Amino acid sequence: MHLRPILSAMLRNKTGAILVGLQIAITLAVVANAVFIIVERAQRIARPSGIDSENLFFVQSYGYGPNYDQLATVHHDLDLIRSLPGVVAASVTTGVPLSNSGAAQNYSASLDPDVEDFMVNTYFVDEQGVAAFGVKLSAGRPFTEAEVQYSGEQTSEFVPSVIITKAFGKRLFGDEPALGRTIYDALGQPATIVGVIDHMLGAWIDSDETIGDVVFLPRISWGPDVRYVVRTEPGRRDDLMMEVERKLSEADLTRAISWVRPHSYYTERSYRAHTRMIALLSVIAILMVAITALGIVGLASFHVNLRRKQIGTRRAVGARRVDILRYFMLENWLLTTGGAALGTILAFAFGQWLSTAYSLPRLEPQYVVIGVVVLWIIGQVAVYVPARRAAAIPPAIATRTV
Amino acid sequence: MFSYHLRLALKSLRRNPVIGGLMIGAIALGVGLCVTTLTVFRLMSANPIAPRNDVLYAVTLDSWGGDRPRYEDRPELPPPELTYRDAMALLESDIPTRQVAMHKSGFVLDPVHTDGAKPFLVEARMTTNDFFAMFDVPFLYGGAWNDATDAEAQMVVVLSKATNDKVFGGVNSVGRTIELGSRFGIREFTVIGVLDEWLPTPKFYDLNNGAFDRPEDVFAPLSLTPALLLGTHGNVNCWKDEPIDSFEDFAESECVWMQYWVELSTPEQVEAYRAFIDNYAREQKRLGRFERPLNNHLRKPDEWLDVNAVVQDDNRVLVGLSFMFLAVCLLNMIGLLLAKFLGAAPIVGLRRALGASRSAIFQQHLVEVGVIGLAGGAIGIGVAALGLLGVRRLYNNYDALTHLDLTMGFVALSIAVCSGILAGLYPTWRICRTAPAAQLKTQ
Amino acid sequence: MLFMNDVSKVYRTDLIETHALRKFSLEVKEGEFVAVTGPSGSGKTTFLNIAGLLETFDTGTYRLDGEDVSRLSDDSRSRIRNRKIGFIFQSFNLIPDLDVFDNVDVPLRYRGMSAPERKRRIMDALELVGLASRVKHVPAQLSGGQQQRVAIARALAGSPRILLADEPTGNLDSLMARQVVDLLEDINRRGTTIVMVTHDPELARRAHRNVHVMDGQITDLQPFAARSLVRSEAIAI
Repeated sequence: MHLRPILSAMLRNKTGAILVGLQIAITLAVVANAVFIIVERAQRIARPSGIDSENLFFVQSYGYGPNYDQLATVHHDLDLIRSLPGVVAASVTTGVPLSNSGAAQNYSASLDPDVEDFMVNTYFVDEQGVAAFGVKLSAGRPFTEAEVQYSGEQTSEFVPSVIITKAFGKRLFGDEPALGRTIYDALGQPATIVGVIDHMLGAWIDSDETIGDVVFLPRISWGPDVRYVVRTEPGRRDDLMMEVERKLSEADLTRAISWVRPHSYYTERSYRAHTRMIALLSVIAILMVAITALGIVGLASFHVNLRRKQIGTRRAVGARRVDILRYFMLENWLLTTGGAALGTILAFAFGQWLSTAYSLPRLEPQYVVIGVVVLWIIGQVAVYVPARRAAAIPPAIATRTV
Repeated sequence: MFSYHLRLALKSLRRNPVIGGLMIGAIALGVGLCVTTLTVFRLMSANPIAPRNDVLYAVTLDSWGGDRPRYEDRPELPPPELTYRDAMALLESDIPTRQVAMHKSGFVLDPVHTDGAKPFLVEARMTTNDFFAMFDVPFLYGGAWNDATDAEAQMVVVLSKATNDKVFGGVNSVGRTIELGSRFGIREFTVIGVLDEWLPTPKFYDLNNGAFDRPEDVFAPLSLTPALLLGTHGNVNCWKDEPIDSFEDFAESECVWMQYWVELSTPEQVEAYRAFIDNYAREQKRLGRFERPLNNHLRKPDEWLDVNAVVQDDNRVLVGLSFMFLAVCLLNMIGLLLAKFLGAAPIVGLRRALGASRSAIFQQHLVEVGVIGLAGGAIGIGVAALGLLGVRRLYNNYDALTHLDLTMGFVALSIAVCSGILAGLYPTWRICRTAPAAQLKTQ
Repeated sequence: MLFMNDVSKVYRTDLIETHALRKFSLEVKEGEFVAVTGPSGSGKTTFLNIAGLLETFDTGTYRLDGEDVSRLSDDSRSRIRNRKIGFIFQSFNLIPDLDVFDNVDVPLRYRGMSAPERKRRIMDALELVGLASRVKHVPAQLSGGQQQRVAIARALAGSPRILLADEPTGNLDSLMARQVVDLLEDINRRGTTIVMVTHDPELARRAHRNVHVMDGQITDLQPFAARSLVRSEAIAI
């Protein structure tokens, strides 16, 4: 089959061809960019956190009154929690990883003011901190009970030892091993690195560069609030959350249990904007492809109806069914290809605009390529139904007058 | 004539129900999606204090130091909040009609009068008394405290409606007392007012601590913060390496955690106040603070919302994409309409032969296009309602964001009819040019 | 009633010029029944289209019912078609999704008549063609002859001054064709001028006067009796 007659037929019906071509072009531009954003967000949500997320829950206690004793409360609560069957480990913590809220401090590898210092996400934990988060140490040891400090309101004093993530060690010391090295806080006080966490994500989900930089400090915060991280055996989390809440509330202490929440509460909340974006973009992309496909079906059906006689005549002069089928399929393929060519330009222009105006990552070309292939397939599938109807037109129609 | 054209339009749609359904469905989907994203966008970018937009100003001072601006990616912005000491210094000015310095805090509320109830945490706003008048806060019972109360740091509290419902079962609790506790111990506070339902969305007066959170549960005088050595429950940002081991250290530090607003009624006041804060900043520079160039701002609420980028970029992208979707739907509709109208060209030729003028044909097809647009818009409102129901699941803590009001219903219909007619103009224009003699001979 | 003098019409495409009418002149008197005959491509249809103000022409003059209609706006031409002219087509050209009543209603709608007035005229016209009982039928439910009678009712409902018919029996079998022609004669007797394009000799015989068109010009004006004679001969053979 030659392309020339199809092309000249399309040229005679320029408007129809332009309309379908434009639809395909915009669809490609939108779908390629939407899928690109979806994949990027999905990868972000799916990245490993390093902690035993599904078996973790967190508790906040808020003390008040003249008789409130932070340290006694912490010891009471942790003794109680750790004694419960099904609890693997429990520790104080100042924050929740991936919650988009947390504390950060500046640390440096040197006292030399010319050596860069880094803002890093910090967690105050106790001797069970490593076990309670479920992080793996690639070197060194967890904190000992003796290392854990409580200094009341005197919080500016640094701790003797810290545990840092491998990623932060790399930032401080490059490829040299971090274990045993000294880091300095903003006031120039030193601490020794006694352990290195293989991998752990910090608080702020969208700080891609530094989310893997985390420091554990052996310390109990001043209060009056205190948070605990509890790690349970698989499947025991929900039961234990209720039990812990009940038992802690019953204790005769002047404090309120503000909340008991699974870690998933925080990840869902933090990633909500991304899951939302994924959901809405998916809806837009799917509807767009569907509408374009329906448009192709609708227009092709109409053209088949308008050209019934012409098709009958072709059949009468010897065209086989497959020739008619092929004519419409080829016509659609040409349209899709034309639209896709324009759409490729649009897609990159749109991607460029998104990345400059909204600081989204730059569109990667393979998404456009995949988009073109998908549109080819969808176009062919969509046009198949009316094309088959066209092929079924009997040759006798050519001789009928009305 | 209109009713005749309407009847013809309905007949024509019935004759090609698939094509008609496709067109109406396309418009409905396009409009529904646009209205869904627009509703979210509009509610996120709403200015809840619009009536007072011209007299209120958020005050920011560039108290940052060291070699970096507060935001490395937006170096032109000073920190969005003030240090405690700067906020206290600004309160000395008598230029503003009203002014408010405030921060977020929290207490444990011990419901001693309710048997068996457990103590619970309440969010508190420690503020000067102008807060209520400046931000048009509605009272159900009682009212705000006065300047003397602020000066004397009296133990009074204004409750939110929800807190009053929870603690006092919704009755007028003015004059009654509640027990609030924190580090300082437990104190008895006298209820001086109860708010009515108040849900400014976004929470414009403190965008830095949950822009879409509800307002606080209790409101109490800021002067209690130093008196009771209260901490903040909001974000604290510091640039300076300084030991902070007490409330005094914190109050004197370079950490920012206070929100500050002024009401300036005349342009002269605005100028005078601008001069005042700039002079203050210069004075601080002389004292060795405020290391960065002079960069103080008075921003009206709308500008404040804009600068703080309350509307996430994602929402703008979604609105853009949904309009591109609408464009595809309309292209689709133009194609189908064109095919449909031109398919009916012989009948139009006949009508022309029988004496229909060009304008009569134009009207007839415009009515048909309008019917498609209206039907699409009406169904589009339904689609939008469904879409928002879905969005509500996605945004589950932002109920206020996801209801469809009359305005958006009207917007939906207007978008549908306008875009329907816009899409219909070209096919209608094409069909009007059908010559009366065309295609009468063969059918 | 109808007066054309030296009317010419040329169709132009990129490649060819077709002279459809060349200095075409014809007068039809009020109350006349004229048949226009001629071979395919002779210009019959062009003549009818111009006579019915469906098409414009290049040169010459055309007066309809005493009014010069040579240079009228599209709107005025629509109005004249609507009020003074009734059309009957070979393929009936009924609107398939309108019922009989609504089909006859079409030209009346563009005339801005009141609903009772329209209804009266529609029922009178359908009465005349004998289809008053079929008002709710759609064209597909009628025979060809019935469809053509509906089309005639549509042409008559507006009380036109002149009826233009283009091969009105071309798509009908002989029995139905005869009924239609009887109807046209009846209408003509009631005073409506009729111009009919046909190549059916039997049909042409029923007209008062025959006009033969060849190459866009009138070649032959034959009186009624002469045509009749020709036909007898044809039968004799």
